[in-house]
Formats: sequence, structure tokens, C-alpha cells
Amino acid sequence: MSDSAKQPNSDLTNLNNDYATKYGFRDPVDYFHKGAKGINHEVVEMISKLKKEPRWMTDRRHEALDMFFSKPIPQWGNTALLNEIDFQNIYYFVKPVKEMSKDWDDVPEYIKKTFDRLGIPEAEKKFLGGVSAQYESEVVYHSMRDDLKKQGVIFLSMDGGLHEQEEVVRKYFGTVVPPADNKFAALNTAVWSGGSFIYVPPGLDVKIPLQAYFRINVENMGQFERTLIIADKGSRVHYIEGCTAPIYSTESLHAAVVEVIALEGAYIRYTTIQNWARNIFNLVTKRASAYRNATVEWIDGNIGSRLSMKYPCIQLVGEGAKAEVLSVAFAGINQHQDAGAKVIHAAPNTSSRITSKSISKDNGRASYRGLVKIYKNAVNSKASVECDALLIGEEARSDTYPTMEIDNDQVKVEHEARVSKVAEEQLFYLTSRGLTEDEARLLIVNGFMEPFTKELPMEYAVELNRLIELEMEGTVG
Amino acid sequence: MNKTSTKSSLESEYLIDEFAPALERGPQWLRERRRVLRQEFNSTPLPRRGLHTWRYTDPNKFLIRHDTVLDTAFDNGYDDVEKVELAHLEQGHLSGLVIDHGGREIKLHGLEELSEKGIVVTTLSEAVSRHKELVERYLYQLVNGKTGKFEAMNGALFNDGIFIHVPNGKTVEKPLHLLHEAGGENSANFHRVLIVVGKNAELTVIDEYGGGASDIDRGVSYTNSAVEIFGFEDSMVRYVLFQRQAASAHLYLTHRARIESGASMLTIPLSFGASLSKQNFGVILNGEGAESKMYGLLFGSGHKHYDNHTLHHHVSSRTTSNIDFKVALRDRAVSAYTGLIRIEKGAKACEAYQENRNLLLNRGVKAETIPELEILNEDVKCSHGATIGPIDPLSVFYLTSRGIPQNEAVQMIVSGFAESTFKQIPKGLKERITDSVAQRLEDI
Repeated sequence: MSDSAKQPNSDLTNLNNDYATKYGFRDPVDYFHKGAKGINHEVVEMISKLKKEPRWMTDRRHEALDMFFSKPIPQWGNTALLNEIDFQNIYYFVKPVKEMSKDWDDVPEYIKKTFDRLGIPEAEKKFLGGVSAQYESEVVYHSMRDDLKKQGVIFLSMDGGLHEQEEVVRKYFGTVVPPADNKFAALNTAVWSGGSFIYVPPGLDVKIPLQAYFRINVENMGQFERTLIIADKGSRVHYIEGCTAPIYSTESLHAAVVEVIALEGAYIRYTTIQNWARNIFNLVTKRASAYRNATVEWIDGNIGSRLSMKYPCIQLVGEGAKAEVLSVAFAGINQHQDAGAKVIHAAPNTSSRITSKSISKDNGRASYRGLVKIYKNAVNSKASVECDALLIGEEARSDTYPTMEIDNDQVKVEHEARVSKVAEEQLFYLTSRGLTEDEARLLIVNGFMEPFTKELPMEYAVELNRLIELEMEGTVG
Repeated sequence: MNKTSTKSSLESEYLIDEFAPALERGPQWLRERRRVLRQEFNSTPLPRRGLHTWRYTDPNKFLIRHDTVLDTAFDNGYDDVEKVELAHLEQGHLSGLVIDHGGREIKLHGLEELSEKGIVVTTLSEAVSRHKELVERYLYQLVNGKTGKFEAMNGALFNDGIFIHVPNGKTVEKPLHLLHEAGGENSANFHRVLIVVGKNAELTVIDEYGGGASDIDRGVSYTNSAVEIFGFEDSMVRYVLFQRQAASAHLYLTHRARIESGASMLTIPLSFGASLSKQNFGVILNGEGAESKMYGLLFGSGHKHYDNHTLHHHVSSRTTSNIDFKVALRDRAVSAYTGLIRIEKGAKACEAYQENRNLLLNRGVKAETIPELEILNEDVKCSHGATIGPIDPLSVFYLTSRGIPQNEAVQMIVSGFAESTFKQIPKGLKERITDSVAQRLEDI
């Protein structure tokens, strides 16, 4: 161990040498619309016009843009990195194909190739309910199994949702995440493009997960998808969003907004595995409202990006509502995963559980930043927060910033956090059974992640394990 | 333009005047330091409320309008506590008693034995000439303008303070009691304590803050306190803070201790009083094998507002720290607690633990807790836990079913909750603390 510690550099540089071939693939792309760099009211007008949007949406975009301009960059978190973002050096809209494809055969070959690498068609063959694959800023392929359609599930791109379900969108858009919420939510509202719109009718249990894949593929192009999910009374749905993105040489920005609404008695699980390239700023606002007896679960994995700031939030606004956040962050070389969770208890008899696991490796930094707020009227509420951090390497850094604000006494709130390195005894035991030190370490890390991976659909669990394996290659103690 | 000029003129009432009398106190070097600190205070903006350490407390509440705040007379009531402690001294519970009226008048009692042993307990104004080197080297080293705006204010404006030096190898066997009394409404009180404990030396100090304005309708008293403690190799320091300021007092207190290799530090912050208090306790573990423990107890009642921070900063390898910070709240009391454990890159094989328990005794109280970890290397064992909740109704039911009246049952449970801290409190003070807790629970 001490031997390898003396020369960590060779191992560290070898690590991820194959990232480009394995995950950082980027296909040459022939773009249809690619506006100029930078952001102003003309760009917003152009985006809205190209999408043939109703005037109210155009107006909202303009209002949000003014909010974006007036709001400062966050003064907390990794401000040094945040200040590197040059908003005028980013493409705000790219439209790869003219029309939305209805059939897999109509999808252009180069885009298919990218998806093949991601395994989408194969997955679809197996059991996917619908594929809403976001390649660049707009959804280019959309399919849904007929039986779902017959049951009344609406699964569209957000642009499609706006055209086909204008009244529903108008009613809910921006109600969970208002544009004034933060600078990046304002930016998203101004320039959003793509994302998913889902409506599940009352009482329906969508048995198979709905999936969408996201990718960024033009250097310096921001991706500002907007997702709105509404589960009507007593319905159940599981939505999966996964991202992999190619490697770029300059910074790129991803600022999505996700709004989730679980009406009375509904159940929504939202699963994400984020594996953006190592130069991407991933600044996402995800928030859910859970009404009476509803349940919302965020299953959130953060592997990629340079800086992620993501704190999935659940507002428990109805009596008996439940919240669960399960998150994993992996911070490797030069990465900062600033992830966490927020739960707002605003009704009696609500309960929440946050489980956060993070691994910091090499000079990576993983921060848990969270909030549990229990309002005065939220009596008999329960909240628990558990953070576990694993440090691998002398330069690794782990932070825990949990905040708990409790305004009434009829509650039970618990928080626990632990930070440690891979235990010598465990390593010793495994190596004494014939495993190499790397294998042993990988096994321990996988065990550490297990509570998260077991919640994932099988192919995601496999992909995640592959990613972790790749990250752990050549690890030195 | 008008807008800016109004703003700056509003602020100027709160700036430290060039001719503030305190700036002229002390020898040349001290006067220079005071002037720099004045500059730092005047040029530093108020902390932004967005900073998480200022989220729960308005910094304006600690600003002092230097033209209106006066040194007012002390209430007679404080004599009672002075009498109690003088009696403790006579009974032999204490090794000495220092009574400090608002940093203006400091009286020393019963220190003959200590001074025979070469242990120094004196005023800072005395120490700057008689222990010039020590004071010049250590004053402002841990609490200064870089710590924050209000720390700069104390550094510039403190009138007189207390200096304690325990030379290498010396032991102060019984607790040394410092009793700070603040003046009434519209008084400004600056307290400063500097403690230097040499190699292999031992000291127990009780730092008590009382007095202050008691009638909310008549005005507020302001206290700003700075405590600096140095514990050298293999020393042992026990520091007990007992804060029982009156109902209309605003208190800002910053405590910083630095301990070297093999040294132990025990810090016991006990907070009962003041309408608004912001207290910051920090120990820097600066030498291999240093060990720090903190046992805090806060009992909030009425409309009191508490904002406490703790810091364990591990700079050296093989250092260990443990914090157990307990909060009990009743009526409409509010408590915010932020505790940071930071382990530096070069500090290997450290262990750090932190626990914050909050007991909510009735509806209407508020508790916030932010236990933070910043770990910059992998070779650590670190954990923290926090809980917030009411008294377990089953425990109350059990006790009442055995014939114990409801309020006594609650008292027993709270005493049990506070037991781990009680155990650490030196005799003499312990009785006063348990009495304070019992008093506050009488009518629950």
C-alpha cells in the first residue's frame, strides 16, 4: 500500500484513460438549427417562435429572463467554480431534426448510433413503456406502448405537452418551481427546450417504468430540459431519467427544472443516474409536491459532471404525505458533487427519510447539503436523515451540511452522519481470501452502494456497477 | 445618490469613533492594535443573512450606537451572586474569584495562594506592563478582526480584561471563578479573557456572565465578549461557561482555544439567560495527540433566542474530539445550533464525534440544528448525530403511573437528559446549575 501511495500519479493518470471510448463517445452531428451563442430577449423570442408556442408561454419566458438577469450567482457552495460559467458563451437552442419521429425507423442514423451505445433499442424491446430520448435540446424520438396509451397515460415531450395539453401545462407549469426560485430555474424557464410531460389518470397503476434518455452533444451547448409529471389521485408511476454525455474540451451547462405533482394518494418514484462529462456544470432544480397521503421518492445518482448542485426537494403539503430521498454521489478527479435533499413538512402526520451515500476519491469532493423543515402545523411528523461518506485517497474531501429547522414539538427528527475510509480489517479479510486489493476495495465500495443499487431497475444497476468499476480501477489506498 | 448618503449616515452612528476613549487605553503597541481593529470593524460590512451562520440571527442586534449607549449603574441584585461566590471562596470551593463589572471595574479576591505558587491572575491593564511579553504575544492571536466584525469591535473597545497564566508544571487545584456582570439597559459591556496554560500545567476556570438589562420595555444591554485560551503540551484545561444574563440582554461571545500536543481541553458551555445570545466556541487541535471534549447544555425559556456555534478544528494528526451539545426548550424559546468539525489534509488518524440533542418541552418552541463536517483526508473516523423531539410521553406515563406528579416526572426526565453534562460540572457550581434547571421546570 505504501509503495503505491508513493507513486499515485501513474495510476491516477491511467484511470479513466478509456473513459472516452467507453462512455465519452461523440458522434459527428449535422445540425438543423443552431442559434448564435449568448442569451438575450431575441434568443428567447426565437426559441418560442420556432416552437410555435402560445403567447402566454413566450411572455413567461421573457419575464423569467429578466429574473435571470436580476438574480446573482449563488453566494454559497463552490462559488469559485460557479463564477467560471460564462453565460454569453453558451448555445441556448439547438434543434437536431425538423419533425418529431414517431417510429424508430424514422430516427436519423447518427442519432440511432448514439442510442445504440446507450442500449436504448434493446431496452425498449425488453420492457420499456415509452422512450423519450432527448438528443440535444428536443425530443427526437417518442414511442409508447399501445396499452399505456389506451389506459390514458399521457407521455409526451414537454413541447408536445404544451401543444396537445395546453390547459394542463398552463395550470401546473412553474407552480412547483417558480422562475423566481433561483437564477438557474429562471434561466431554464426562459430558454427551456425538451424534457418530458407525463400525466397519469386517477387510480391508474403504471406497472412498467417510463424512461427517457438525455444527452448533450454540441460543445458549449447548454441543455435546459423541463419536465412536468402529474400523477392524479390514487395513481402510481415510476419515471426514469438517465444521462451520459460525451467529453468536451470547454465548459458546458446543464440547468434542468423538474416539477413533480403527486395528487391525493398518488405515488411517484423518480429515478435519475447522472453521468455527465467531467466538464459539465449540472445545476438542476427538482421539486415535488405531495398532497394528502401521496408518496414521492427521488432516487438520485450522481456520477459525472464537474460540479453538480442538486438538492431534490419534496414539499409535503397534504396530511399523511410521505417523502423518500435516496442519493448516491461519486466524486472522482477534479469533481465536486454538491448534492443533497430537501424535505418541507407543511402538513400533519407527514414523514420523510433521506439516505445519502457519497464516495470521494482522489481529489474529489462530495458534499451533502440538505434541509428538513417542519412547520408549526405539521404535528406528529417524523423525519430522519442519514449520511454516509467513504473517503478513498489522501486528497479526498467530504463535507456534510445538514440543516434541520423544527417549529413544533410534536415531531421526531433524527440525523446521523458518518465519514470513514475503507476499513483496513475489511481489506485484510478480503485479501486474505485471495482477492487483490483492488478487487477487495471494489467489493467494499459496491457493498457501500448496495442500498442504492438495489432500488434501481436491473439494467441501471448493471450500468451503475460498471461505472463504479471503471471509477475504481487502479485505486490506491 | 440620496439613497446611498442616507444609508451611510445611518451606518455612521454605529461606527467606532476616531476618538473613542477605549482606543487610548494601554501601551503604544496595544493602542496601535486597537486602531487597526477599529479600522477593520468600520470597513467590514455586516455579515450577510444568507451566510448559514447568520441565518437565524440578525447581526444588527449586536450593533451599538456609540452616541446613545451609556455605562449605567449596576443593579443591586447582582450582589447576591457575588455573595454566593464569595461564600464559595471562603468555604474553600474556589482557588480565587474575579469580579468584573462590564469590563470597567475588576476586583480580585483570594488569589494570595495562587500568586505564591507563581500563578498569575490579574487584570489585562496590569498584565500589559507586568507580563508584557506574554500579553503582547497571545492577545488577539485567536480572536481578532479576521474572526469577524464583532470580534474586531471587542478588540478595539474592550476596556479591561482578565489575564491568567499558569506556568509550566503548575496545577491550580480548585476552580478559578470569573464573574462578569453587565450593566443595565443601554449599557455596552466588553469583556476579554486571556488564559495561557503552560506545559504540563492544569487549570479549571468557571467563566460566568450575569447581569444585563432585565426589563424588555426599558431597553437592551449589550455585551460583547472574547475569550482566548492557550493550552501548551500535555496541559489540562477545563473551561466552564455559565451564561445567565437577564431577560433583556444581548450577548455576543466568541471563545477560541488552541491546544498543543498531548494537551486536553474540556469545554462546558451552559446557557440559560439573555434575550438574544450568539455564542461561538472553538477548539483548534494544534499538536499530535491533543484531545478536546465539549459538553454543552442550553435551557431556553420565555422568548429567549439562542444561536450557538461549535468548532473542532483538527490541524494535527492523531487528535480526537467529541461534542455533546444538549438543548432543552420551553415556552417560545428558539435555538439554532451549528457545529462544524473540520479535519485538515495533513491531520491523519483523527477521530471526531458530535452529537446534538434537542428536547422540545411544549409547542411553540423552535430548534434548528446544522451539524457540519468538512473532512479533507481519508484517514479519519468521524460521525455526528442530531435528534429533535418532545419528551417521550411513554416515559411520563410510566413515572406518573408510579405516583410521581406530572411536573416532577418532567423534571426527572430533563435531569436525566442533562445528566451527561451535569456530571462534568465542578462542585459548587453544580448545585447552582441544577437549581437553575429545577427553577425553570417548576411550573411546567
